[in-house]
Amino acid sequence: MDRTRPIALTAGTAGAFALLFAATPALADSHTATVSVLHGIPDTPVDVYANGERLIDDFAPGTLAGPLELPAGEYDLALYPADAADASGEALLSAMDVAVPAGADATVVAHLTEAGQPALTPFVNDTSAVPAGQARVTVRHTAAAPAVDVRAGGTVVAPGLTNPNEATLTVPAGTITADVTLAGTDTVAIGPADLALAEGTSTIVYAWGSGDAGYELATQTVTGLHSSPSGVPGGSAGLVDDELPLPLVGLSVLGLAGAAVAGRRLVTSRV
Amino acid sequence: MRKAVAGVAVGLALAVGVPVSWELTRPPATAGTPVAQALEATGPPAPSSSGAAAPAPAVETRDAAPAAVPRAPAPVRVTVPARGVEAPLDPMGVAGDGQMALPGDVGRVGWYRFGPVPGEAGSAVLAGHVDDREQGLGALAPLRTAEAGDEVLVTDDAGTTSRWRVTSRELITKQQLPLDALFSREGPPRLVLVTCGGPFLPEYRSYRDNVVVVAEPLR
Repeated sequence: MDRTRPIALTAGTAGAFALLFAATPALADSHTATVSVLHGIPDTPVDVYANGERLIDDFAPGTLAGPLELPAGEYDLALYPADAADASGEALLSAMDVAVPAGADATVVAHLTEAGQPALTPFVNDTSAVPAGQARVTVRHTAAAPAVDVRAGGTVVAPGLTNPNEATLTVPAGTITADVTLAGTDTVAIGPADLALAEGTSTIVYAWGSGDAGYELATQTVTGLHSSPSGVPGGSAGLVDDELPLPLVGLSVLGLAGAAVAGRRLVTSRV
Repeated sequence: MRKAVAGVAVGLALAVGVPVSWELTRPPATAGTPVAQALEATGPPAPSSSGAAAPAPAVETRDAAPAAVPRAPAPVRVTVPARGVEAPLDPMGVAGDGQMALPGDVGRVGWYRFGPVPGEAGSAVLAGHVDDREQGLGALAPLRTAEAGDEVLVTDDAGTTSRWRVTSRELITKQQLPLDALFSREGPPRLVLVTCGGPFLPEYRSYRDNVVVVAEPLR
């Protein structure tokens, strides 16, 4: 199973359909999962329902909900217009029996497909440790747009990214200037934007929106993935060497030699 | 003959007495509580940057547009008055070999900028070279003699000085350094000062041990 290719459910999909979160990371000892929800459908505030209960009220485009600690299990997710009184009417978008395995860290994104249809796509977030001094950055294409190139500092770092896929890089921590161009061109579709990639964290960047409503970037940060340096160096001259200094070693040896000489004289004088 | 007896006595006294008295006059390898224990110790939880936990709504939402992350003022100076340590601090990261990077100038001390600033949750690490062939002794060389109770002062670039009290000093073999505890970003605020010490290994041009000093906030 390829973690970078989650299943997209379009609005028209009916009936029971399991959105399987691929490859669950370890931590299976807990019975909860970490779930975030990103709203990336322009101009459409919604209410989010899980198993018929309202989970998020008046969820605005461009906002992120969570992370939520949810009991592991299966969820029926549905999006209704934000002015709907309850979950009795026609859902804008729904996904039934979404499997949320224990220990998983996932983001469910409501977004547009390349063709501009609303979709719910679950992405598994990589929560593995990041080497000391580094940061992880994942770029997800969730916009109604064809393939794009993602550039950092003017250099293409994720070529030919298509909706709804992602690319992940591990880079030295710091701030990068990123933009998104139509694949193979210099036509900037989004940005440039400064992204602060904090050390030991994973920054997930979403390209979302549409040609009509405009394209935007959204970010999500997963913290606590840092590693320690491998050690602390600290000196190279031996000026504070904690061994017996050489002159003192010499003095001690001299004493030993003197004792030997004197002892020998003592023995021979007795014979 | 009496001379010979005296010669044996004096010789043996020298041979045994010199190393023994040298050893006895050295500061002990440790002071205060063991470092591992000092870093484990739980205290009042660190002030969370997000402020008091308000009775949150069912689900928190936030604007996901990219935003700049505010950062607390960086520490710029450390002093241990009782030991004559006074040094400017440089924010340092990770060297190519994966170890913490240190300022090349042994008169300066590095602050591990990816960890907490002093006073935030977890261990703020300040480390420096103990010596250098050309430059001589480093600013942190006197750490070897730090005692429990010594005061440590850290000044940040906003001019605020925080006060700390040494709780432990330990000589730890580099291979056994509890790195995850030393560089922890959780738990009560701690100040961790690190330099080199122990026997010098000329073949590696390096010391065998690290001198680790842990201090807790002084209120």
